[in-house]
Amino acid sequence: MAAGTRVWKCCRCDEELVPKKTVLSYLGHTVAHELLTCPKCGKVYVSKELAEGKMSEVEQLLEDK
Amino acid sequence: MRLEDATAYTAECFRGEPASCSWACPFRLDVRSFLDKAGKGRWAAAYKVLRDATVFPAIVAALCDQPCREHCQRPLLGDEPIAVRDVEGAVLRYAKDRRPQSYAIPPKDRRIAVVGAGPAGLSTALNLAQKRFRVAVFEKRDAWGGALRPHPRFAEFDADIALQFSAVEVGFRFGAEVRDLDELVDFDAVYVATGAGGGSFGLLESWDRGLLTTSMPKVFMGGELCGVTLMEGIAQGIEASKIIEVFLQTGRATRPPGEYDKAKCGHYLDHEGAVSVPLVQASGPDGYTEAEAKAEAARCLQCDCGKCIAACEMLSRFRKDPRQIALEVYTDMEANPFSTRAVTRETYSCNICGYCRSVCPVGVDIGALLQFSRAARMRAGVHPAALHDFWLRDMDFATGEGAFASPPRGRPACEYAFYPGCQLRASNPEHVLRSYEFLRQTRGAGITLGCCGAPAYWAGDEARLQANIEETRRQWSGLGRPTLVFACATCEGLFRLFMPEIPRVSLYELLADSETIRPVAPFAEAAVFDPCAARDDHSMEAAVRNLAGKAGVALEELKERNRCCGHGGHIRIANPDLYDEITRNRAEAGAKPYIVYCANCREVFALRGKECVHILDVALGLTADSRVPTLEEKRNNSLRVKRELMKQTQDIDFEPERREWESLTLVIDDELQKEMEEKLISALDLKEAIWRAETSCDKFYDESDGTSLAGLVRPVITYWVQYREIAPDTYEVQSAYYHRMRFEREE
Ligand code: SF4
Ligand SMILES: [Zn+2]
Repeated sequence: MAAGTRVWKCCRCDEELVPKKTVLSYLGHTVAHELLTCPKCGKVYVSKELAEGKMSEVEQLLEDK
Repeated sequence: MRLEDATAYTAECFRGEPASCSWACPFRLDVRSFLDKAGKGRWAAAYKVLRDATVFPAIVAALCDQPCREHCQRPLLGDEPIAVRDVEGAVLRYAKDRRPQSYAIPPKDRRIAVVGAGPAGLSTALNLAQKRFRVAVFEKRDAWGGALRPHPRFAEFDADIALQFSAVEVGFRFGAEVRDLDELVDFDAVYVATGAGGGSFGLLESWDRGLLTTSMPKVFMGGELCGVTLMEGIAQGIEASKIIEVFLQTGRATRPPGEYDKAKCGHYLDHEGAVSVPLVQASGPDGYTEAEAKAEAARCLQCDCGKCIAACEMLSRFRKDPRQIALEVYTDMEANPFSTRAVTRETYSCNICGYCRSVCPVGVDIGALLQFSRAARMRAGVHPAALHDFWLRDMDFATGEGAFASPPRGRPACEYAFYPGCQLRASNPEHVLRSYEFLRQTRGAGITLGCCGAPAYWAGDEARLQANIEETRRQWSGLGRPTLVFACATCEGLFRLFMPEIPRVSLYELLADSETIRPVAPFAEAAVFDPCAARDDHSMEAAVRNLAGKAGVALEELKERNRCCGHGGHIRIANPDLYDEITRNRAEAGAKPYIVYCANCREVFALRGKECVHILDVALGLTADSRVPTLEEKRNNSLRVKRELMKQTQDIDFEPERREWESLTLVIDDELQKEMEEKLISALDLKEAIWRAETSCDKFYDESDGTSLAGLVRPVITYWVQYREIAPDTYEVQSAYYHRMRFEREE
């Protein structure tokens, strides 16, 4: 099953994830990004595609700064 | 950080400085640039370089006696020096537009008198006029040219002078002999250039060669009158104009800063790989044709140093001049939060292997500079911690749970102690255990399991390094201050640097000297791949060759020795592409299999599929294992070595602390395992993530097929693992990844 088609639920809250603007920080810089999050406890989901794609790009940019 | 602290590392670098020919030229003509342009047939551009340096290019091209040729480096290849003057002549013929540039600067009101319209006086007058001073030239004859007038080619020179003066305003007073300097009191400065044997108004004795001053304030002097050559006299005109300008601004004659640094320009290069090309002969009596001039100019070797850049993959990739790097190491520390640092990636991409220093004619060590930068960034807290986190954690393990020191069984102290280093025992426990057995039997050796601190050193973490040094010293004293026996050149090098009081010997020397050791040849022919860290320790190199020779291996030397396998400096996370390029180049550096004596080199080559064995396999007659253990296996290997040696020396049963998650079983397919190793993700971290998720339900869950996703937030890195339980306490891992950013929850 492709990762994108999965329906993730927060195991603790038994809630389906919803997109939510989340602030990410790295090396003293912050970036806001819409991420899937548990609506109840706020646990944030990061996919492999995101971690190794966009996030890694931004991380490298900030490291070079 | 002070600027000098950084630039001191590259102070001797002469890249970009004028070449030896320019150094010899009275005009400091940038011969390299001139010949480069001429070689491409860019006549106008070449002419401009020539004109800007020499003032009267036609005179110089005809009469200069070419001291540059004495310092041309072509003869090092057995060729004749470049025919610079003949190329200059060609440039004058083929440059179509030779009109002088006009100077769009506002006129100045200071007045300067030049006495004498010979070449030296004319040069000074022209250069001052270009700065828009009001210049008057007094000449007792009724025309310019001075000593050049009788020359058969004077018509050409005359035309050149007229051409150069065509863009400036200068008042010429011909037939006006100055008999007394009092006649010139209205002028703000005077330049006397009356030619060989000309009148000096009694000032010659007081002439200062450096500043061109005389005992009379305001009066300067130069040219053949002062005993310099015709060419030097013309060149002095340029200097005189600068000195007089400063004098008029400040009232003091000083040389403007940024003058030529002679010490840096006399360097001759070795021109490795350059081929001999004979002097181009002119086919006709009128000098070179365009094609001939281009060919002759193209013989220029463009002498400039860039040896380190050519030799090093990292420096080639970033293509920055060493002195620029030093400057940016400094400016990076001064960067404010909004500016961008310039050399961060480069700083963490260096193997710090010292190869640049070994090829540099003046011993510049860019690795040392970047090491310095890493430490400064760490001190200032502006280091990207994720780039070294893996190895620092590994060091924590090696110096914590994995550490152990003891004299041999039943003895309070020892004269020798084996220091295998952290990587050898992780990669091959047999190497350590068998070597220890040899050392125990032959030297009554004890054992020290620890880490030399290379991870802290390469991360720039001086505090951690220092703490480790102190702990190491304490352990060593506890063993009775033995000679430490090293198997790893990196360890040995760091001890040499930071704990020089500890006596050292290499394991390979002791093995090579031993009668009982019977090395076994794994290959008939091989090349020894010396680690970068062994560059300064030839005893290791020799002992390894000795052992291989005893085994009967026919050795071939690699063209370049002591190159870093890629592991040095821990660059793999900071620059994976570069790491890949370097490891590939090293694996391909020799066609024969390699014999290595560093666990990291072995790992690099094994992963590249390069046939290779560790010298300990040869010396101890072991069957070489071509596999590289996983990160988790490495940890277990280290603990196994500790357990066996604790039992053997202290008769203690060491039971490493077992965390709850260590009993989980993970099923990881080969492809994913390989990917994890490349990303330096240990299965142990995944076990912890899964265990925590399963015991707290802090995870994501897909009901359709029972797949879970757990995250583990470590101080620097956040790991994720997607998995499915396939049996009790057994999980099939589907993917594993990480990121460095952290979440700041926001409402
Ligand atoms: S080898 Fe590199 S550092 Fe040394 S002088 Fe040449 S360019 Fe400069
Ligand atoms: Zn929740």
